[in-house]
Amino acid sequence: MKTKIKKVLYEAAINTFEDICFMYAVPELKDSQNDLALEAAAEVKYQGDYTGRLLIETRGGLFSAIAANMLSSGNPTPRQKKDALGEIANIICGNILPSLGGRGYETGTPQFLSKDKLLKEKGQDKPLAEITLNFNEGRADVKLFVAATLTPRRKNSD
Amino acid sequence: MALNILVVDDSSVMRSIIKKTLKLTGLSLGDIWEADNGEKGLQLLQEKWIDLALVDIHMPVMNGDEMISHLRENDQYKNLPVIVISSESDPGRIEMIHKQGAIFIHKPFKPETLKELIIAITGVSNEDKD
Repeated sequence: MKTKIKKVLYEAAINTFEDICFMYAVPELKDSQNDLALEAAAEVKYQGDYTGRLLIETRGGLFSAIAANMLSSGNPTPRQKKDALGEIANIICGNILPSLGGRGYETGTPQFLSKDKLLKEKGQDKPLAEITLNFNEGRADVKLFVAATLTPRRKNSD
Repeated sequence: MALNILVVDDSSVMRSIIKKTLKLTGLSLGDIWEADNGEKGLQLLQEKWIDLALVDIHMPVMNGDEMISHLRENDQYKNLPVIVISSESDPGRIEMIHKQGAIFIHKPFKPETLKELIIAITGVSNEDKD
């Protein structure tokens, strides 16, 4: 199941970047992209038969590039950058949730995360699936967290 | 016929993407109006001539479901073509949208997909050759 979800996560992320940001991933990770510092992150929480969150982190200039491409503007405002990253997280999350199974999910509003919060939470839980996309403009790491076990909630007496 | 289109989404970047994608469809476009929630969308409908509404679901003040319900209860707008553009994954909610007489398109989407749906729902097919 993990392999399937990772594949769906990869496809959802690739399609989102291509269709929404007009950005195309490059297959090889450059050496210089390995140790890029974290610049921004956003998450979307979901609730249904499973609960959890989808997290996207950007490195190496991708944060600005996403908004710039979406807006066709070379100088997006900080708010537009946060809005753009949140929207990407929201779309990827909406595409991955059906692959978890269950009867449907409610998703929360995308939240922009500070570096402090991310560092504080780092290592506290392990993602069910994680992928990395490399672009000429930087790097994106997308992680799907599922709380507790992968045992669906029991149906009510329906 | 150039289509006057209303884009309702609380995300300004998403509205920008939708406008960009509309231009890529090659369809003949008139004015494109924007609103960041359903209530403002309804106000614009009263003020402007609009042929098609592209509406998000999750928005503050008035969400897409409520906006479409208001449209369907109003004789003037009950037949207005509506396409819902959302990352919603709940099958029950998507079914509700169809029952309200709207078409659903899942984000992310390609210009060709949007074009096909606009042609299907409006009947307009003339391409902008400019």
